[in-house]
Amino acid sequence: MKKNCFAVMLILCLAATTLYANGGQEASSGPRTVSIEVWTREGGINHWRADLAVEAAKELNAQLKAEGSQITVEAVPVLDEGDWGGYKKKYSLAADSGEAPLIVVSGHEDIATWGQAGYIVPLASSVEEIQGETEQFADVIPSLWNCASWHGNIWGVPQDTEARPMYFNKTLLKKVGFTDAQIAQLPKDIEEGKFTLQDLVSTAQKAVEMGGVEPGYGYWHRPKKGGDFVQFYRAFGGEIYDAQEDKLVVTRDALVRFYAFQRSCVETGITPATYIGTEWNIWHDVVSNNKALFFNGGTWMWADWAKNYAEGGEDALFANIGYAYEPSGIRGRKGSTLSHPLVYLISSERASGSTDQELAKRLIALMTTTERNTRHAVESGHLGILQSQARYDAYTSNKFLADVTYLLDNNFYQPNHVLYGTWFDSLWDNMVAAEQGEKSPEEAAEDAVKIMKLELDDQLIVK
Amino acid sequence: MRKHKRSLTGYWFILPAAVLVVLYFFIPVILTLGISLTNMSSVTGFSNWSWTGLANYIKILKHPDSGSNFATTLIYVACTLSFFNVGMGLLVAILAHHMPKRLGEIFRSLWLLPRITPPVVYVLMWTMLAADAPYGVINQLFRIPFGLSTSNWLPEYAMLFAVLVNGYIGASFGMILFSSAIEAIPNDIMVSSLVDGASFFNRARYIILPQLKWPLLFVTTYQTLSLLTSFESILILTDGNFGTEVWALWSYHKALNNYYGNFQYGFGAALSAVLVFVGVIFAIIYLKYFKFNDLVKEPLIDEL
Repeated sequence: MKKNCFAVMLILCLAATTLYANGGQEASSGPRTVSIEVWTREGGINHWRADLAVEAAKELNAQLKAEGSQITVEAVPVLDEGDWGGYKKKYSLAADSGEAPLIVVSGHEDIATWGQAGYIVPLASSVEEIQGETEQFADVIPSLWNCASWHGNIWGVPQDTEARPMYFNKTLLKKVGFTDAQIAQLPKDIEEGKFTLQDLVSTAQKAVEMGGVEPGYGYWHRPKKGGDFVQFYRAFGGEIYDAQEDKLVVTRDALVRFYAFQRSCVETGITPATYIGTEWNIWHDVVSNNKALFFNGGTWMWADWAKNYAEGGEDALFANIGYAYEPSGIRGRKGSTLSHPLVYLISSERASGSTDQELAKRLIALMTTTERNTRHAVESGHLGILQSQARYDAYTSNKFLADVTYLLDNNFYQPNHVLYGTWFDSLWDNMVAAEQGEKSPEEAAEDAVKIMKLELDDQLIVK
Repeated sequence: MRKHKRSLTGYWFILPAAVLVVLYFFIPVILTLGISLTNMSSVTGFSNWSWTGLANYIKILKHPDSGSNFATTLIYVACTLSFFNVGMGLLVAILAHHMPKRLGEIFRSLWLLPRITPPVVYVLMWTMLAADAPYGVINQLFRIPFGLSTSNWLPEYAMLFAVLVNGYIGASFGMILFSSAIEAIPNDIMVSSLVDGASFFNRARYIILPQLKWPLLFVTTYQTLSLLTSFESILILTDGNFGTEVWALWSYHKALNNYYGNFQYGFGAALSAVLVFVGVIFAIIYLKYFKFNDLVKEPLIDEL
């Protein structure tokens, strides 16, 4: 009796499995809608990062139809208004629970960490391979693929990039005795290393002493945590990464000089003693309305100021504000800028539960057209990522973008290393302590190195 | 036989609380301790981690920030607890009790406002209060009109603001408990003290305070443990800058929120485990100091 029961159950199970399998086959060969979520941080002027997917999906669907496919792609843009830390946490936790979006836009420095964790998939094994895949990928500025590479593979498609100029207020410079010719020459002098960070401090200090600029408004750096500060560490000779060894590097002396520079800004009265943490809306309002003499920020801020802050809009900005490389801290050494391309990354099957990575890649290619990327670049003040944009009217007719694109001639990227975030935290925390006077520059540098050694262990080279 | 039945009934009553404590305290603590012994991070994900023994705890011992962050935590907890959660809570409860009933109710309600305001809105209000001239309210109303120097007060007095922001929220908790405890004091004792000529201070000192020993123990212990692990308002207020990186925020930054998204779950869990240990030590000290065993002793008159 028992044997009979077992046999019946076995047959039923096999039948159910066969039916299930057949059902599955029917489902996969029949019409199918693939929903592709595209996550990006920030709506506002950056909304196209994800919103372009909707239009691109229409084009992709037309292509699929022409190919005889029964698949329909539905793009779902998700704009996250939180901070970067929260956004990355959301993605990490979603990926670990198999609920990540198929496409995520994030900084290229996440490639190492997320690649190592298995959250994202490599897109190609070489630059040549990815360039050969579509005309759009062939059009991407070749050097940008470097920051999308890690351990020999290409993991992301550049979405936008930017420069982080040192802005200066021409009106205030005139007020303290600069001639038009000197102002016009300033970007060139910074580029060639004739006007250094020390010159910036002394100029701003003089401007404050002369009464042309209010105390504390001579120089406003970024008020909150961000990659910008790496520029100053590097400007004083700091090294970040040893590509041969694939290890992070810290240069102790450069760290001391960098921290001493930050402290000197407070001690000379050109930056408020209680400055770090200033609210962004206050910061934007001050710098875009002729109160600060020097200030450093990203090119994307220009678009924000023009739209939301500057009285008189972009015309007033052009009349009052100039831009240049970040000055060097070493005389004779060229000014440079940090570029921080965001990239489109594709989640793995384990992270997203989806097997449609190829479709996601096709969608990204269609979001990366000259026209579409330019729409984002112009509206958000980001620099283009395609070679064709240099010849594209809508891009070249944007005066600001045309003016600042040359900054990419001497730019650098942050490294794609799994522990870069930890390295940066130590750099930042101790910079704050040094600027605030809680530690001397030497003590702060010493602590930064100690923490890096402790947290990075054999992944750090101390110079 | 009867006694046996009574004790079983007691266990049934304690069961829901016991389940909650196991679910929301013991299991998370065990998980935290487990994770703290691993190298789990964004890099390893939740599946490729390995056991590292006490490596994270050794890292904490060697870390240059451990001492200062621990000191910051103690200062923050001690100041918020003594000046607000217990001190201000008690003061408001006693004052409100001595006010006309309606006025007392309004007075108490005002202290509840910070608690019912969404934390982000509430903390942003403080930020705009403290902001540099010409934006901040302190500068606008109290400094500029009198020709006094202006500043960005938040970074200048960051710990003070951290304590004030949390204190105004926390005071209401103690206030409610102390108020109800004061209301529960038999009226004849309160009235007879007045008849005997006790002043307001005498009554507070010799009648009210001794009756509040139990709520005082509870509020002090509970709020110490809460403050040790609370960091949300400091996160929004200063993000740990200007010497306000309390231990819990440090743990959060390491494990779950930093700019480049490199989360060290294992190290963060070890930092949290230290807090659990410190919390337990504090709780034991309080229970000893307030003679908890005496408080829960069976009454001498057992059955009427």
